[in-house]
Amino acid sequence: MAATADETEETTDASEPVPDPAPRRRRPGRIALAVSVFGELLITAGVLLGLFVVYSLWWTNVIADRKADREADKVREHWAQQQESGPGALDTQDGIGFLHVPAMGDGEVLVEKGTDADVLNDGVAGYYTDPVKATLPTTGKNGNFSVAAHRDGHGAKFHRIDKLEKGDPIVFETRDDWYVYKVYSILPETSKYNVKVLSPIPRESGKKKPGHYITLTTCTPVYTSRYRYVVWGELVRVEKVDADRTPPKELRD
Amino acid sequence: MYGWIWRHLPGNAWVKALISLVLILAVVYVLFQYVFPWAEPLLPFNDVTVDNQ
Repeated sequence: MAATADETEETTDASEPVPDPAPRRRRPGRIALAVSVFGELLITAGVLLGLFVVYSLWWTNVIADRKADREADKVREHWAQQQESGPGALDTQDGIGFLHVPAMGDGEVLVEKGTDADVLNDGVAGYYTDPVKATLPTTGKNGNFSVAAHRDGHGAKFHRIDKLEKGDPIVFETRDDWYVYKVYSILPETSKYNVKVLSPIPRESGKKKPGHYITLTTCTPVYTSRYRYVVWGELVRVEKVDADRTPPKELRD
Repeated sequence: MYGWIWRHLPGNAWVKALISLVLILAVVYVLFQYVFPWAEPLLPFNDVTVDNQ
């Protein structure tokens, strides 16, 4: 108030008296107020959406990778213990093994049971139990080992699935064996209702006879879930894990 | 709205700025911890399986 009084004095000195020096920026009109609140709401919405992008593409990866690393350590520890105490039953509770796909970059992807969001959101790949049950390679039976993982966020384990080409190896590591698969067919875009890609004999990949197949599914294009991206591989050979867990030659170069 | 909050924060400009920062961090925490995880499954960005109704 003192400041306004000073100003009024100065202006009155210079020229004719100012009738009512209304305090500035105190009471904007109703419409001005409504417009400014509306503008602030819009800005808030924009910031909120921006934060959601940060959350989905960065934060979920941080969380999921942390969780997946912990789970992976647990599985490896478990394996080491079992090795000492003789063969044990396959424990599907913590994950059954690791996928190594050199074309998608270094690193391993833990494989756990199920493809529900709470499984996949931990930064792992899940093998299908529904709608078509996956045939695990450890059973030795003919069938399709079908797995899914996130393309973006939550670890984004299959983010670079489009880097896979025909002939590229996909290696599945279990406690006792390396299962070496070779990619033979790719379906870059299909409907999300196309469950036939998971069939024991995936006909869309061009196969007619029973065999040991692997199917990777994820969403495409990146950042959306409009379609599914499917990669098929066929088992080439099975290698026993040695004492040093020396990886097969596909993973060495 | 934000002007109203600013005017009702106690202290001088520095204290106000500090309190604002804490408030913003609190809001971001609540969003990342509770709101976004809840909202995410409702949005069609992250379905990766086939036959995911």
